[in-house]
Amino acid sequence: MNLTVNGVSNLPSPQGEGPGVRLKLLRIMKLTLILLTAAALQVSASGYSQNVTLNLKDVTLDKVFKEIRRQTGYLFLYKNEEVKKIGKVSVNVKDVPVEEAIQESLASTPFHFKMVDKTIVVTAEPQNVTLSAEGMSLSSVFLEIKRQTGYVFWYDKNLIDNHSSVTVEFDRRPLEKALYSILSPLNLDFAIEKKVIVIKSKPVVSAMADTTKPKAPPGEIKGRVVNSKGEPIAGATVTVQGTRKSTITDANGEFSLAGVDDDAVIQITHVQYEIENITLNGKGIVNATLQIKVSSLDELQVIAYGTTTKRLNTGNVSTVKAEEIEKQPVSNPLATLQGRVPGMIITQQTGMPGGSFSVQIRGQNSIASGNDPLYVIDGVPYPSQLLPNLGGVPWGTSANGSSGSPLSYINPSDIESIDVLKDADATAIYGSRGANGVVLITTKKGKIGKANVTVNMYTGFGKVSRKTDLLNTRQYLDMRYEALSNDGVDINSPSSWSPDLTDWDTSAYTNWQKTMIGGTSHYYDAQISVSGGTTIVQYLLGGGYHKETDIFPGNYSDQKTSVHFNITTNSSNQKFKAMLSGNYIVDNNKIGYYDLTNQSFLPPNAPDIYNPDGSLNWANDTWSNPLALLISKYNPTTNNLVSNALLSYKILPTLEFKTSLGYNNMQVNEIRTFPISFFPPSYNITTGSSDFTRNNISSWIIEPQVNYQLIIGKGKLTTLLGGTIQKIHTVGEILNANGFTNDAFLENIRAASKIVVQSTTNTQYKYNGAFSRLNYNWQDKYLINITGRRDGSSRFGPGKQFANFGAIGVGWVFSQENFIHKSFPFLSFGKLRASYGSAGNDLIGDYQYITTYSSTAFPYQGVQGLYPNNLFNPDYSWEVNKKLELAIEGGLFKDRIYFAASYYRNRSSNQLVGYPVSRITGFGSVVSNLPALVQNKGFEFLINTTNIKSKSITWTSSVNLTIFSNKLVEFSNLSNTGYARYLIIDQPLNIIKVYHLLGVNDTTGVYQFVDSKGTPTYNPSYPDDATVLINTNPKFYGGFQNNFQFKGFELSVFFQFVKQIGRNYLFSNSYAPGFYFAQNQSAIVLNRWQKPGDLASIQQYTQSFGSPASIAYEYAQNSDYAFSDASFIRLKNVSFSYRLSDTWAKKWHLQNFRIYFQGQNLLTITNYKGMDPENQSTQSLPPLRVFTFGIQITL
Amino acid sequence: MVRANKKNILAFFYFKNVIIYSVVTILLNVSCKKLVEIDPPVTVLSSDVVFSNNASAAAVLTGVYDNMIYGSSKFSSGYYSLSLLAGLSADEFKKYSTDPTQEQFFVNAVSSNRVRFWVELYNYIYTANAVLEAMVASPNISAEVKQQLIGEAKFVRAFCYFYLFNLFGDVPLITTTDYKVNALASRASADQVYSQVIADLKSAKELLNSQYVAADVITTTSDRVRPNKWAATALLARVFLYSKDWANAENEATAVINNTSMYNLDTNLNNVFVKNSIEAIWQLQPVQVGYNTYDAYYFVLTSTPNNAKPVALSTFLVNAFDSADNRKKDWVGTITFGTQTYYYSNKYKISALNQPVSEYLMVLRLAEQHLIRAEARAQQNKTSSSQDDLNIIRARAGLPNTSANDKTSLLTAILHERQVELFSEWGHRWLDLKRTGTVDAVMSIVCPQKGGTWSPNWALYPIPLGEIQNDPNLIQNPGYQ
Repeated sequence: MNLTVNGVSNLPSPQGEGPGVRLKLLRIMKLTLILLTAAALQVSASGYSQNVTLNLKDVTLDKVFKEIRRQTGYLFLYKNEEVKKIGKVSVNVKDVPVEEAIQESLASTPFHFKMVDKTIVVTAEPQNVTLSAEGMSLSSVFLEIKRQTGYVFWYDKNLIDNHSSVTVEFDRRPLEKALYSILSPLNLDFAIEKKVIVIKSKPVVSAMADTTKPKAPPGEIKGRVVNSKGEPIAGATVTVQGTRKSTITDANGEFSLAGVDDDAVIQITHVQYEIENITLNGKGIVNATLQIKVSSLDELQVIAYGTTTKRLNTGNVSTVKAEEIEKQPVSNPLATLQGRVPGMIITQQTGMPGGSFSVQIRGQNSIASGNDPLYVIDGVPYPSQLLPNLGGVPWGTSANGSSGSPLSYINPSDIESIDVLKDADATAIYGSRGANGVVLITTKKGKIGKANVTVNMYTGFGKVSRKTDLLNTRQYLDMRYEALSNDGVDINSPSSWSPDLTDWDTSAYTNWQKTMIGGTSHYYDAQISVSGGTTIVQYLLGGGYHKETDIFPGNYSDQKTSVHFNITTNSSNQKFKAMLSGNYIVDNNKIGYYDLTNQSFLPPNAPDIYNPDGSLNWANDTWSNPLALLISKYNPTTNNLVSNALLSYKILPTLEFKTSLGYNNMQVNEIRTFPISFFPPSYNITTGSSDFTRNNISSWIIEPQVNYQLIIGKGKLTTLLGGTIQKIHTVGEILNANGFTNDAFLENIRAASKIVVQSTTNTQYKYNGAFSRLNYNWQDKYLINITGRRDGSSRFGPGKQFANFGAIGVGWVFSQENFIHKSFPFLSFGKLRASYGSAGNDLIGDYQYITTYSSTAFPYQGVQGLYPNNLFNPDYSWEVNKKLELAIEGGLFKDRIYFAASYYRNRSSNQLVGYPVSRITGFGSVVSNLPALVQNKGFEFLINTTNIKSKSITWTSSVNLTIFSNKLVEFSNLSNTGYARYLIIDQPLNIIKVYHLLGVNDTTGVYQFVDSKGTPTYNPSYPDDATVLINTNPKFYGGFQNNFQFKGFELSVFFQFVKQIGRNYLFSNSYAPGFYFAQNQSAIVLNRWQKPGDLASIQQYTQSFGSPASIAYEYAQNSDYAFSDASFIRLKNVSFSYRLSDTWAKKWHLQNFRIYFQGQNLLTITNYKGMDPENQSTQSLPPLRVFTFGIQITL
Repeated sequence: MVRANKKNILAFFYFKNVIIYSVVTILLNVSCKKLVEIDPPVTVLSSDVVFSNNASAAAVLTGVYDNMIYGSSKFSSGYYSLSLLAGLSADEFKKYSTDPTQEQFFVNAVSSNRVRFWVELYNYIYTANAVLEAMVASPNISAEVKQQLIGEAKFVRAFCYFYLFNLFGDVPLITTTDYKVNALASRASADQVYSQVIADLKSAKELLNSQYVAADVITTTSDRVRPNKWAATALLARVFLYSKDWANAENEATAVINNTSMYNLDTNLNNVFVKNSIEAIWQLQPVQVGYNTYDAYYFVLTSTPNNAKPVALSTFLVNAFDSADNRKKDWVGTITFGTQTYYYSNKYKISALNQPVSEYLMVLRLAEQHLIRAEARAQQNKTSSSQDDLNIIRARAGLPNTSANDKTSLLTAILHERQVELFSEWGHRWLDLKRTGTVDAVMSIVCPQKGGTWSPNWALYPIPLGEIQNDPNLIQNPGYQ
């Protein structure tokens, strides 16, 4: 389809400069140079008029100059001996400008001239160029040629920016030949007109060979735009230079334009490709091949309320793109970020689908308020935590006590990019919510082109990757007998409850680890999308289905069905634009309420699960049958809608009004049932019960914005002004229903005989702000970005609801400086940037600033009484986080190597805490701001390299590393608050005070600790003897990615690494080894103390409460022995794919055909004592090792 | 992006106005607080809403009574009630539980991190202060309701201070809800506290309805579960007695006693503690489903005393009864296992669960008013009228008239009568020993029996440790860390 647009293109103009070539002004020769040269030159001066009349025949140049000087008064500088070598000249001009006269005079000579004020410098042999360049930037080459020849260069800056490395060696080569050798490899052409060299794109000659197209009528041009692979580029803007004629290529990359002059220059632009300029020279058909932008520095990067590029960004933003997300077979987008974002720690708490993740960007800022970042999906703020719910064990817990992760309800396949905003420059515009960083999720949008149908399907399986080496039946029984003997307890005495020894078959053996967590989880995923569009309408429709089963016995699954759509429409003049997008997901999770991981520690001789008749075996109530846990049904269902509408109108090409409207609704219903059969028969339970949760979070947001761009001086000023109005309404309830006489009715609340409302939630949160950004870019060299926001939040009391936040960011792209160019030609990009500013944190509950009253549980005198909940403090306000960042970014060898290093220091003050007050006030604490200061600082490093790049092979690597520290800088009056128990000045917030364990006393066989006086004891006291401080923050962490491409094959390998200390499994059991309750143990316990003189690492077995060993065990749980190295290197992701070659694909009428293998958590290298160093738990399922196989077809 | 040519510069200046206008509009909007004003919470009520209508304002005081009686470890009732713990501190109970808190009160060595009552009473005081402050500024509350609520709030505040002062000595006097001031309060003198308590009660006496009212605080009812004018008068009589203002104590007690249309001694001792007893001046209504009073639940022995039934009556108390005393028959229960007989307080009788609620927890009753007047009269050397009051109580118990016939012997007889009449109720015995100056003499004998040696500073309980830590101006009672 062809479409001609009159008026100015809507698409971003290249580098913000006007269409057409740009005059690079010749720098006036420095006066010093003139003076130096003057000594060797003959100087003469005379005359005053501007126009010249010459009629000279066969005279020396000298004479001509003198005549001109007489008439005009201009001085001439030249080397006398050179001029004398030239024979006579003739010149005949009448009343022409002096330049023309000189030009005419020199026409037959090798001389050329420059005018500097009223001085005319005449030099000879200008066309020869001597150049020795290695990796020199093109603009430096031009400068040098200009210096040698005096020729002026005209070029579009965009044309040459990315061809910035030239390696040539010329000795007095003629100018034209020199230019040809320099420019030709770069696909550039040139023309010399008078003393001006115009640089332009090489015309594509193949166009002439395209005879399949009819010859266009005069004045009309047709053309096709393709990429280097020959694939059509849709949506490229085609502009006739110097006119307002413009069009956009269609799905086949074709375009046509009418009424174009024969000698017009056509410019073709596209965000992802280099700009192409083509001089028509009468050609009616223009075929252009656009080169993809080489540098990732120029890829769009999403920032708050807009986009920028890595090159021009003054803030710290890390981007993870769809191509990396799609390589990972995970169902929560947070999982895709692990190890990939410097400064962001993401811990998967459990391997269960839907489970929680803990997320921290640049450390823990707040002592008592939330530390979650702000999530924004297509401009719509998204909850970071679910509402209080039934709290399924497998889902882990969040800060507010709820379980699960709201991000589970976003389909990773629908995501185009995730941008993590970290420093003040990037986050201050989010004001009161930016303190903990911001995660911007952008979903996929329709693109111009013919309708594409893409189908992507994968299936796979997951398993627990690490298991514990547990005792076998013999070893287990020996441990138990030895414990009884150590304690001097007879197996049959009442104080020994040992059904494992007395009731159970002591010859039985079950590998419970295999039974409970040895299963295989199955993955099924199918995504289909249709996208395409014209210049008027672009659309994307997608649907997805994802099913994941658990690894426990039984057949339970989590199923997600999702729909994603996006429609964009433009008015025909491209001024008005409207976009609507939506993501809707329905999640039906039937994984169950219990994580059976801890059941893998059952004694190895525990009874059979089933009786011969198939019923559950309760073994005379000597155990809790683990599979009874699966009888309790737990079924959360979630419906989540995130939708966004964007309306914009461009009054001028530079002035745009825009409004973003967003709506998010998340509905979570849970049912948990306790059938009669859930309980052992001996309990005589005759009725069942159920719990019901109904939660709803709905929020809407309106954000009007004005963008205006303006050239001031040599720079571009971009201004943004906007406002936010937001409201979040949360409603929820948890009901307990009892007295179901029939298990079949457990999900019908009406069948209950008694219903108790356990809790209700109903809160409103309103929020509004005004924000502004001023960005000034001086020739892509000096950048300054000022952001400000005034915020109001309903979470604060009257008079404290509003606050101001702001930041300043500056950048200096020093590689744009000539002297840097010259000195470091290999440096293709270099930028220093710094930012400082403030952002706030309002992650406290709603309504905390007013005294609220709750109703009593039971009525008095027939009515429900009311009682106050809290003290009234209207005066608290935001936590303020002041962020400082210094960074350097650079590109070497045409950006083949990109590196970034940043230092940050965030200081969070005005800490919002429940400040302890005397109870005489009525309550024990009051929410207030404390002059406590928490500091996070660290270094983040990132290196991306293109190791090999040839036509058939590409190898790229990326490595990132974060080193950080967290500490409490000050906390006034700390010792008099409840916080004194666990906070220490100058230490991290998460410090743990533990005892120092000396080892096992070789005489008593019991663990010994050091008390505060240095004396060994098995019975230390808290807190005096707890003198060792354990810091579980990672010391450093990061990731290492390698991508290999060979023809159609692509291999991507990603390692994640963390250096940290964590709680090991030695003391994770509540009971000491030897207790019946302690169940089975790791084989490590075999190295125990048995008799005096034994040097053992594990103390003697015990099975009595109150025995010294039992007491010592409890202290050991809080000793330095319970912590050990939990560092790991994990092969987090491997993706291997094969893409069918175009020829074959075409034969099968496919645009793309790809098959792939993906693996997640494939290998973990660690010394960690326990199942998994990431979640460090024996109770929760570790992240699974997942293998998937898939196929992707684009029709 | 275009160059700043003339046309665009003009456009800029034109649109500059638009931008400035937009800025102003947006900023005005922002400073318009409406955008951050939210509806009041729904699952909890903000204080503004609570005090915007009669019913919910009244419900706040209902909530105080509800909280006093609800739960099994409250000041008023249950496992850690004043009746139980102060009874252990004095000579009323012997402890059989292994509970460390009960242990400490029993051996009179209460540690500052196990002491009770303080937190709960100051919370009620906060609520009372909140009501009093709200009533000043609540135009929507009717005058009638306002009057009753102010009266009840002042009564509650006085009631709490009475116990705080008598348990802990000088205590901070908190009369506002402003935590910034209150958090740093220091102890007020006895005079200050008493004058506040007396002023509150005098005021409450004037404001409160003379009848008992329902939860709406207007409709009258037969349930004696909200304080009325006579409850304020009765408490005032007690406070005057404690502050040794004998004449006023006598006057206030007389006022109550003379109201015979409402209050009489029930001749059947077994009916004294039933709900809406004719003797009741103020009772608390049990609210927890399935329970009558926690006093019955914990005191009435159905097995050997243990952690669930933590106490039995001490031999000091059992031996204090005259053998002819009907109170020993009706109010003291016995249970025998083997050779061991245990005595227990049987004033409240329904200890089983899921019985109809027929007993309310007695807070103020007429018998105490007779004993107050007897003591006040004896102190004023009104021997004969003092004897009259004492004999009324003795007669009901089936005892002959007192033989005491002078001030000293009468005071001794009255203290004894209070011991056997008011035992296991609200720590009367512990408070009586302290205010009459007999505590050292009595406890020096009792303490060794409980396994310790009496220290006079134990007469005051320690202030909770956290309070000393959080309020630098609070000083611990002597003898405690």
